Amino acid sequence: MKSASSDTSSILSRAAVKSNIKLNASNFILGLVPERALPGPRPGQFFMFGIDSRKDPLLRRPFCYFRKEDGAIQILYRVVGRVTTLMTGLRAGETVEILGPLGNGYPDFLGSKAEEAGNGKGKTPLVIAGGVGLASVYPLLAGLDGRAHLFYGERTGASLLLVDELRRLSGQVTLATEDGSAGFKGTAAEAAKVFLKGRDKKDFTLYACGPNGMLKAASALGVDGYIASEEKMACGVGVCLGCAVKTAGGFKRACKDGPVFKIGEALFD
Amino acid sequence: MTDLRVGIGSLKLKNPVMTASGTAGYGAELAEFFDPSLLGALVMKGISLEPWQGNPPPRITETPCGMINSIGLQNVGLEMFLREKLPFARQWDVPVIANILGTSADEYVRLAAELDGAGVEGIELNVSCPNIKKGGISFGRDMAVFARLVGAVRKTVKSAALIVKLTPDAPVAEFARAAEESGADAVSLINSIPAMAIDVNTRRPLVKNVIGGLSGPAVKPIAVRMVYQASRAVRVPVIGMGGITEGRDAVEFMLAGAHAVAVGTAIFSDPMAPLKILDGIRAYMENHGIKRVSAITGSVRT
Repeated sequence: MKSASSDTSSILSRAAVKSNIKLNASNFILGLVPERALPGPRPGQFFMFGIDSRKDPLLRRPFCYFRKEDGAIQILYRVVGRVTTLMTGLRAGETVEILGPLGNGYPDFLGSKAEEAGNGKGKTPLVIAGGVGLASVYPLLAGLDGRAHLFYGERTGASLLLVDELRRLSGQVTLATEDGSAGFKGTAAEAAKVFLKGRDKKDFTLYACGPNGMLKAASALGVDGYIASEEKMACGVGVCLGCAVKTAGGFKRACKDGPVFKIGEALFD
Repeated sequence: MTDLRVGIGSLKLKNPVMTASGTAGYGAELAEFFDPSLLGALVMKGISLEPWQGNPPPRITETPCGMINSIGLQNVGLEMFLREKLPFARQWDVPVIANILGTSADEYVRLAAELDGAGVEGIELNVSCPNIKKGGISFGRDMAVFARLVGAVRKTVKSAALIVKLTPDAPVAEFARAAEESGADAVSLINSIPAMAIDVNTRRPLVKNVIGGLSGPAVKPIAVRMVYQASRAVRVPVIGMGGITEGRDAVEFMLAGAHAVAVGTAIFSDPMAPLKILDGIRAYMENHGIKRVSAITGSVRT
């Protein structure tokens, strides 16, 4: 008899671990090869990732699309809790589950739709990354053809990731560290604020991902653009209403209505 | 050939698996993964007269084998439900059960009247909402208030099956019996269990609202016990839920006395969960030579 649950979804897949590369003590890049082709993904979209079908950990975790390399979808993850700790133990050949790509990515930033997105050729993309928020904006940099000015902040210089690569992908890179051990002393958003002083803000389009405090600061720079929010999610598909983002029009869902929001739409306390 | 049909009052379900309110939205998101017509019933996200904003984030946190949520019953309100959500759900061949939320008995009655008139097949009363007039105590924990509420809604509802969702925060057999005596066609249980978790590093509660509702496999043994007690207290059908993640969990609830089951948190882990659970029930029946699913109900050997 045909099973009722024959999978009709095109975005749910088991995936083989291809690589799990350690960048430093707490940051890794996981390469996954889905058992079947998944559409996209676009910069700013995400996947719900589950280690296996056990009941503990119970929920999948959201990770944004980082890049494609050697036929694998890669996610950049930071070890912050139980699931990410378990992820560090994944070895090539093991099978995991992914659901995605999900959510609205950054709007088209090249080609005909770019003008509508307020990102015409005359504008310089300013990209602000706070911590592991780098993972979300990374695929943008490649698409922006070396035009972007990246502001990338971490607590300390030793935590900065992939700096040589970022310099290759971006027109200009400003590093920022809270302890001043590398680059600008302060946050990435503060570095961007200093840069913008005396410049016409209409000449830029902003893309930012990082902790809410950083997104608040980025939203206050006075530059039009987009932020990608980070919220805890249970389902990732719009039914749990867990990933609430405050907007002028009430709470919206980071997973379905975002995670990318126009600057000024998402409000941060 | 297995017969999966079950009856819940006037409701005829093609199988015993439904969604739990608040875990399937109004159906549209799940329809991206499977055809909701395959479900026994679609239980909608709770509806209040006016839209509710819900609680500020963080709203969820995972706990061992479970999760705590404090969504705060965010919903689009009755008008939008009737104008957009219900008509959209009518494209599927599945009974729609509306779940209603109020802060006074009058609000519940008005919601029930509108939804009954709009032709929903079932109305589920969420009695875990704070009763503003009673100083915030939930309708589900004060026996006299509870019985009056169910009785008032019963008088209003003419065609839909009236389901009363019991809170696990009260003696379940007594409230199940009161629901039946006040005219409920069925009881459903359990709602999530009031719970709390704290981040020991920041010393802050892990949900902004401080207290939330625990759900998932962690609550399942409690839910099975309550379904067992409720089913022995009443003659009306019992809809069991609480941590069902696979077919054998659903069977366990039915053995304890449930006529139908609802899948909630498992949908968050896997949107396909309701259908996988239905497959599991079917496989259990085939393995045990059971022809009618209703034969499982209450057949635990004690």
